[in-house]
Amino acid sequence: MNQNKFLIQVTLQDTFLHRLNGETKVRLFVVGLVAVIMSFDLRILVPILLASSLGVLFSKPNWKSIRIVFLIVVGVNLLNLFLFYLANPSLGEYWCGENTIIHQFSTRYYVSVETLWYLLVRFIKMVTSFMVSLWFIITITPSQFAAGLAAHRVPYKVATIVSLGFRYIPDIARDYENIKLSMQMRGVELDPKKASISKRLKQSLLILIPLIITSFDRVSTIANGMDLRGFGRGKRRSYYVEQDPTVWDKRVRFITNVIFILSIVYIVGSMIWPAPTNMWCPL
Amino acid sequence: MKKPLIEFKDFSFRYKSQTEATLHDINLTIYQHEKVLLLGPSGSGKSTLAHCINGLIPHSFEGEVKGSCKIAGVETIDASIFALSKHVGTVLQDSDAQFVGLSVGEDIAFALENQQMNRNDMVKRVFASASLVGMQDFLSHVPYQLSGGQKQKVSMAGVINEDVSILLFDEPLAALDPAMGKTAIELIDDLYKQLGKTVVIIEHRLEDVLHRPVDRILLMDEGRIVADMTPEQLLTSNLLIQYGIREPLYVSALKHAGCELSIEDSPASIYQLDLSRHQKKLLDFSSTFISSQSTSSQDIVLTVEDVSFAYDKELVLKDVSFTLRKGERVAVVGKNGAGKSTMAKLLCGVIRPNTGRILVEQEDYLHLTIKQLGERFGYVMQNPNQMIVKEMIFDEVALALRLRGYHEEEILAKVIEVLQICGLHAMRNWPISALSYGQKKRVTIASILALSPKVLILDEPTAGQDYRHYTEMLSFIEQLQKQLNLTVIFITHDMHLAIEYTDRAIVFADGELIADDQVFKVLSNDDVIARANLKQTSLYTLATRLQLKPEEFIEHFIQVERGKIHESE
Repeated sequence: MNQNKFLIQVTLQDTFLHRLNGETKVRLFVVGLVAVIMSFDLRILVPILLASSLGVLFSKPNWKSIRIVFLIVVGVNLLNLFLFYLANPSLGEYWCGENTIIHQFSTRYYVSVETLWYLLVRFIKMVTSFMVSLWFIITITPSQFAAGLAAHRVPYKVATIVSLGFRYIPDIARDYENIKLSMQMRGVELDPKKASISKRLKQSLLILIPLIITSFDRVSTIANGMDLRGFGRGKRRSYYVEQDPTVWDKRVRFITNVIFILSIVYIVGSMIWPAPTNMWCPL
Repeated sequence: MKKPLIEFKDFSFRYKSQTEATLHDINLTIYQHEKVLLLGPSGSGKSTLAHCINGLIPHSFEGEVKGSCKIAGVETIDASIFALSKHVGTVLQDSDAQFVGLSVGEDIAFALENQQMNRNDMVKRVFASASLVGMQDFLSHVPYQLSGGQKQKVSMAGVINEDVSILLFDEPLAALDPAMGKTAIELIDDLYKQLGKTVVIIEHRLEDVLHRPVDRILLMDEGRIVADMTPEQLLTSNLLIQYGIREPLYVSALKHAGCELSIEDSPASIYQLDLSRHQKKLLDFSSTFISSQSTSSQDIVLTVEDVSFAYDKELVLKDVSFTLRKGERVAVVGKNGAGKSTMAKLLCGVIRPNTGRILVEQEDYLHLTIKQLGERFGYVMQNPNQMIVKEMIFDEVALALRLRGYHEEEILAKVIEVLQICGLHAMRNWPISALSYGQKKRVTIASILALSPKVLILDEPTAGQDYRHYTEMLSFIEQLQKQLNLTVIFITHDMHLAIEYTDRAIVFADGELIADDQVFKVLSNDDVIARANLKQTSLYTLATRLQLKPEEFIEHFIQVERGKIHESE
């Protein structure tokens, strides 16, 4: 079975990022994401974008599935930027304090260098947060993620829900396929050419009812099985998948901590000494 | 003096949601290093008793407890479920639900993780336990890559590494094919011998469990223990028939031949059974055999011609050809992943052949939609809960007709007809939630018959049912088949079903059709048995021991059994 068909990994390959343990990866991801969210500055975004792109590149992902997701993310963002522009074409003036008009469509709609700059920064910010999430998703298993969260004092029951979800999604998908087949044979029409959307939606309910009922049955069996094996016994639990940190884990954690401190300094700094413009504009 | 590990004294239990008690006056002691089989039909309370042993009762299922239940000297009501899990390791019936890890290693480690064992010790323990069950090379495998038998082995490894003293197996054979079931029983026995645990097996398939010896059998019925004896005592009594448990086939064969078994014959194992006293009667019995020619009609309902199918370039069916005639009953057998379910999906039209043709009543089925095929093939799923969508029986059976836009009058007439055939007419206005599992199954069959299909495809129709319900279900299907002249396809692991209720078996292995023949011939072919993960029946062994031809002996047995079934009707 080809595990790489999907973005989410269940078994890991052997590359540098894959070898890091869950705690390191979760910390690096969270700090990276916080830095991206808190900043609106290409001097910070571009290095993070480059670093996470390299991370994705070296993790030898399945490009086919990434390409689809990537195209969707870029498409949605371009649409988002366009709507932003339509709503307020003078965004650049607010953010950069100046207005260098290149082209005027009408009294309301014009293109300025500053607005283009703002839209570019916004686009890069979105792509960066996507890339930060992407390297993380393709280098971690749900179990490692659970272990990493637990290491950061997130209650392990919360973390377990995540990994259990991944465990049983394929089972539920299989049930769904079977139920769908039996309902189609009984006459539920799912072909868009033969039934209207409202009819199809209504009939889809006929597939969902048994699916929900059988899934609930399963949940109680699983819960009993987990009880019998001592789940919930202690305040903490250890993780089979969580290797002891290696030298590289320690180095990466050190770098992560440095990035974290720098981000704090940057955020606090920009509060105490606000820049003359709302964002960094080297124009 | 042996140490008692499990002690019930005047124990009763009633589930909170029920008015009647499920267990009555249980008095029972199981000693250290005993291997005990808890036998009983569905609803006899054997699973409830198991829940009492592992602590799910009273800790997860609420109810009223009377009397005393001690595990390793501690009253279960005073101990937490976690404390009990240190003594009792439970392997659940549904190995998919017990498999909570995302890989084999993680799942075996699950209990150790909860004890916060440090990782280095854990990795060693997991490897050691996995080696005991032969799964050490699969530690990084994900559950979707494993067979049912392998998942069960993982569950076993997961409970033995906790160093428990009692191993409890809840219907370990329920989801396994015959060969895997045999391996599971052998593995349980090996663990019992090597680790010196106390073993409690809950099952209704007596013959399969007796593949390896057990010390004692507890027979349960209606919440009471009705017998507590050795396998030999039980097999020579009439209790099995009285309580609706299937006798081992060889025991039935001996009885058909008029032999009276006694404890001295050591009847608990077909290999140790002393035949000297019975040889003559058995040989006389087999000399009365006359081979019968099967007479099936010539009308062909379905033709499958050189059909191949591949998922993502991976060939799952290779050049499969067979035909089905009107009124035939066919078993489709083979291990999981051999192509059985792909074949069923092809017939239903969700997937279509890459090469080859399928003809339904001489008509190429390619231009028929799934909905149209649903009027020709009726597909009944294993789990009735996956099919039922309406609250009332009548509405459920009427669904397929309503979706096709029939007039209410026509629907009424058809539904009433189907309900009468299926013996559900008196219950037509009942809510489905009030029905038993077997009745729900009947409703699903009725809802399929509403479309008057020519072929009925039944996926494991008897899974999880005891002998009494199994017989009821199959006599019901047989009666439908005769009345409506249906062609019935059984997709099944159950060789007893194939032997007694079908005319022919189609055997799949690795995507190929490797045999298409009468069942007793298939079950006498060593090569087919090995490739399809089937198992020699004890009749085969008995015939070989008597130096008779197994094929004829099995056919004779089937004739006699069918004669008996029809007599009793």
